[in-house]
Amino acid sequence: MPNSVGAGASAQPGVVVKQLPYLVLGLWGVVLLKCWADGRLNLLLHSNFHSLVLATGVIFLLLASAGLRWPPSGPSRRNYLPMAVLSLSGIALMLWPPKPSLSTLAANRSSAQLGDSELSFLSPPEQRSLSDWVRLLNSQPDPQLYAGNPVQVSGFVLAVPGAPPEIARLLVRCCLADATPVGLAVRWPPKQQWPTPDRWLQINGVMAVESHQGVLRAVLVARKIKPIKAPARPLEP
Amino acid sequence: MANQVALVNEALMQQLATVWAVFQGLLLEAIPFLLIGVAISSVAMAWDPRGKWLQKLPQGALTGPLSGALLGFALPACECGNVPVARRMIAVGAPLGTALGFLFAAPVLNPVVLLSTWAAFPDKPWLLLLRPAGSVLIALLLSGLLQLLCESDLLNGELLAERNLSQPLAKFSLLERRSGLIGEPLPQIKLLNEANKNGDFQPIQLLSHGVNEFLELGSLLLLGCGLAALIQTLIPRDLFLLLGQAPTLSIISAMLLALVVSVCSSVDAFLALGFAEQITPGALLAFLLLGPVIDLKSVSLLSKVFTWPALALVLAGVCLTVLVLGQALNLVLL
Repeated sequence: MPNSVGAGASAQPGVVVKQLPYLVLGLWGVVLLKCWADGRLNLLLHSNFHSLVLATGVIFLLLASAGLRWPPSGPSRRNYLPMAVLSLSGIALMLWPPKPSLSTLAANRSSAQLGDSELSFLSPPEQRSLSDWVRLLNSQPDPQLYAGNPVQVSGFVLAVPGAPPEIARLLVRCCLADATPVGLAVRWPPKQQWPTPDRWLQINGVMAVESHQGVLRAVLVARKIKPIKAPARPLEP
Repeated sequence: MANQVALVNEALMQQLATVWAVFQGLLLEAIPFLLIGVAISSVAMAWDPRGKWLQKLPQGALTGPLSGALLGFALPACECGNVPVARRMIAVGAPLGTALGFLFAAPVLNPVVLLSTWAAFPDKPWLLLLRPAGSVLIALLLSGLLQLLCESDLLNGELLAERNLSQPLAKFSLLERRSGLIGEPLPQIKLLNEANKNGDFQPIQLLSHGVNEFLELGSLLLLGCGLAALIQTLIPRDLFLLLGQAPTLSIISAMLLALVVSVCSSVDAFLALGFAEQITPGALLAFLLLGPVIDLKSVSLLSKVFTWPALALVLAGVCLTVLVLGQALNLVLL
């Protein structure tokens, strides 16, 4: 009897060591599922990749369950450092969701060049989104074409050095690493402080023409500004 | 004064929060592709544990890298998924040129990447031709260059030991083989020996191998993503692009951007679309050729394949080749 207890006690650490990799894999399965469920993927990745992250999380959990249920009888590799790095980062990901400053991110990047303007022309001006407007202005830059058009757009406030802030959106093809801003110049109501960067606003107004550094450009004259909550999907494809 | 300190603190916190978010974006996008790569590597291990078939891949200086590059059409993974597959090929003794050709060219020579390049630049048919052609050329040159080194100078120690095991008995001493007959065997070799007793690998052994490989590469990927997120958030991207409207400088700046931004090869063409008009055609080609071979995110993964000096040679070789290709294109089109 003492022998069997002794054997059990000595076998225990070996089993735990063999199970550690699957515990870390299971943790990452939970991390990926949490990232998918709490909506943060909307802020981090193009929607094409969301189901891939979900599937990976499920596969990790299945593999971890299999490994824990049937631990390998052979030798185990002791990847303690990789396991520690992955465990700590997985826990950090769960504890601290991303809260990027979109304005800070956008300030470091040049504006996106957009195409496909035909659909935007077909839709009535007040139904055009911010990126629709930017597409139009890129493809048909003559600001006189839009003077007097009603506008209703939403976006975040993007600080512009030496100029009034713009209203902007981020376009993403893959993940936040490739996000590029598209912004509209805004003429903010006089006698009001400019809004702080990163605030989400819905702006109703009209398009007008103004001279900026000697060049005519379209500007959104804000008539009604309403603070809004950041949308569930703040990135545009 | 206190106000200024508070403002600086706030700006710093915003920067850190943005780095953290970009890091998560890069990592969450890359992990599924790493899983695909590790899965393919494990399937290859099950199918051909001793490399009987993989060793029969073409060995010629041209046919080796070319056949490796063409394998990209069968295994469409980006650079994160490619590394574990190339490691498996090298470990089981596949011809080095073939494995290197796959490692360097397959991230471009696959249907997903070619389609995304065409979708992003339908008005630039030359790009659809030059991107895969340039990628094959890079694979040929790098394979040739790296094979000038002896394998012990080229390959990561663990990988080399595993590869040595697949070599003929006459080629290596028992000490060099680290098979466990003399000295402590490598964990991978313990696993191979275990498989030998039973004939084939049991599924749970493959799972164990795959999970351990994922943990090793995953932790390195994590470091690469962290470095890429830090640099690309703190350094204005325009700095890379403003460096050059001139032919040569524009190529160099686009190459720096490709190294830093570290996006997957299946979507980098869409990212390039955003600044394609600001740079020269040669710079655009350089951006699309360099990133799939090496960037900040993948450099740590590649350290599990190459020694650090060999990795430096890869970086120098690919940068020089891409610069020359970009220059040649600028000479023709500008």
